Amino acid sequence: MPDLTPDELERYSRQIGPGVLSLDGQQRLRCSTALVTRAGGMGGPAALMLAMAGVGRLIVAHGGHLISPDLNRQVLGSEQGLGKPRAAEFAAYLRGMNRFVQVEPLDYEPDDDQALELAARCDVILSCPPTFEERLRLNRAAVITGTPLIDAAQWGMTGTLIVVRPGETACLECVYPAPPPFEELFPVVGAISSATGSLAALEAIKILSQTGRPLWGRMFTYDGYHGRATAVQLQRRPQCPRCGAAARGA
Amino acid sequence: MKIQVIYTGRGYQLAELLPDELELDDAAGVGDALRLLAKRLPADVRLPDTCLISVSGQHLGTLAQHNSVRLRDGDELTLIAPVAGG
Repeated sequence: MPDLTPDELERYSRQIGPGVLSLDGQQRLRCSTALVTRAGGMGGPAALMLAMAGVGRLIVAHGGHLISPDLNRQVLGSEQGLGKPRAAEFAAYLRGMNRFVQVEPLDYEPDDDQALELAARCDVILSCPPTFEERLRLNRAAVITGTPLIDAAQWGMTGTLIVVRPGETACLECVYPAPPPFEELFPVVGAISSATGSLAALEAIKILSQTGRPLWGRMFTYDGYHGRATAVQLQRRPQCPRCGAAARGA
Repeated sequence: MKIQVIYTGRGYQLAELLPDELELDDAAGVGDALRLLAKRLPADVRLPDTCLISVSGQHLGTLAQHNSVRLRDGDELTLIAPVAGG
């Protein structure tokens, strides 16, 4: 691994040391690539925290143009960006926050083949889309390529994280044998988006830098409405069509 | 025996309609607890089939498809309605 430059060491000096990242861990983070799709309410803060922490390359996928209702939670957007393509706006903001990070914007949500191609060239996937269809697509790509997946989701004042280590822990299809109903205009408060996205980034930083204990195979839920956190150890489903015995040809 | 009940995730307001604690026969299983909870809801409200079910942190499946386990005094039955927003 290439050494961190003096400027990089200065930038990350508050997060290198006991109880945080080791120097090797920071270097591992710098040599890593993370995919964030999408980069809205949760993916935006997740991408921002990864950029500020010093991930080497950040691929940010988000189609469409920035609209006013986005701005109650999409921290990478701004009043000046309204009407402009989200991906380019978000990438410019991220580059402005850390010159040591390479940011690759994609102005679309990946289809099956694109998700597979992206998963194969990244070290972790942060899945933050609004639909289960997209989540299951990213889960499929993660399982096929063996790429760790952090699934972040939100509704109202609640956020959930599921951290998947393909082949070892439950995948999303183990947890949801049938896709839950889709709700296009779900309620959401920006504070929970930001909190959930930041926790997703923390899991990614731990995985990439090999620090601490990631939430492998667990679902973490923070119910902000009731002020309650729960964690569930998820079980793999042997009959899971994605990662079960039949899918593995066993 | 008594168990704790947590309902969270999508539509967490439903928790206001459910008891925080259930009193059950000592031989009761998770199915008994779920049936009792369903009876406590108004006639036009039902828990989503895709709800994740866990007992004291152990995942059992969904409401529609889950393992059945015997409950113990002090267990925590958690129901998490899937959340998908991004």
